[in-house]
Amino acid sequence: MKRFDCLRTIAVAAADALVVTSAGAVTLEWNALRPGDGNFRVRTLGLCSSIALGMALGLPHRKVIALDGDGSLLMNLCSLPTLARMQPKNLVHIVFDNGVYEASGSKKTATATGTDLVGMACAAGIARARWAHSDDEFRAVVTEALNGQELFFIGAKVTTDRTEVPPYPIDEVENKYRFIRHVEKTENVAILKTNLPTSYS
Amino acid sequence: MLSELLGQREKTKVTEEEAAKTIFNGLKAAGINLVATLPDINLAQLLQEVEADRDVIHVPLCREEEGIGICAGAYLVGKKCAAIMQNGGFFNSNNAIVTTLLQYQIPLLLLIYYAGDIGDRTFSTSGSMTEPVLRALGIRYYVMREVADAPELITRAQILAEDSRRPVALLLTKELLGRRVSLKSL
Repeated sequence: MKRFDCLRTIAVAAADALVVTSAGAVTLEWNALRPGDGNFRVRTLGLCSSIALGMALGLPHRKVIALDGDGSLLMNLCSLPTLARMQPKNLVHIVFDNGVYEASGSKKTATATGTDLVGMACAAGIARARWAHSDDEFRAVVTEALNGQELFFIGAKVTTDRTEVPPYPIDEVENKYRFIRHVEKTENVAILKTNLPTSYS
Repeated sequence: MLSELLGQREKTKVTEEEAAKTIFNGLKAAGINLVATLPDINLAQLLQEVEADRDVIHVPLCREEEGIGICAGAYLVGKKCAAIMQNGGFFNSNNAIVTTLLQYQIPLLLLIYYAGDIGDRTFSTSGSMTEPVLRALGIRYYVMREVADAPELITRAQILAEDSRRPVALLLTKELLGRRVSLKSL
């Protein structure tokens, strides 16, 4: 499978889900397919699943999608037992497993020599953890996960192909503010408040 | 002479339970509603308070660095978060603190048990490095020793975190937590 085709499938089904993307090309490809302020780009390798978990716990009625990679998840494997422990019903964790550290010179990851990330998610206690072996299977499981109310972990073996897409248009701080403002607007809540100067209060 | 002084201090000392309740109530008064934790024996009673509360979301961690991510994600959707850990866990969390909290300007209250504090055996290397690393990261911190000061300091630290959009650390000492400080030389 190609990651870009999988992302296209997700973009069709994602609706207003908040989407967290792992450090690497997946961020750029996703942003080309579904641009908008409901996307949050992660810069710390490994933290994608954890940041998504925090969002899912903080907004339990809103769907949150984590678009993770094998190198990233391997660096933060302990997020799997924590996800299983917290069981956020609104979180869908998708891992694109291409077997390499794509953004770092394409050296092999441990999945290239047989480590099974879905097996690890199952063993950690995530009941709905499965591989999608084809584009059709991927579409079916993504649709089930996004329409359902359970924690899902979806693994997709993808090629190392990259798709030509524009660069990410904003820096980290702008990403933060835009994302928070998007949550405020779509959830009708106030998150960032500014104090008046003392002389006004 | 030392034992007499220590004896007097023992009498006025708060218990672990009282200290834990005061600190936890301070967190709630500061508006904290999500707490990520990893145990240390000296934090056991405080974690008990976090666990028993129905209003605060408690996330028990496997490794402290994931807690930085969880708190950052929760902040982005409107939660006020605190992470409670030993200073060893703070060291574990440094990449996430730098490349997520500092890089994105995300506030977070860090409650760090000060293992290896002056006079504390077995973790003196960690103790020696704790404040220098906090300073190197530009994280403002305060060493808490008196339980009576805790609620106000927690609120002030949370205000500083929000206002500076940076993490702020409170170092929790053994005496703050109502734990016995043994001062016998070998």
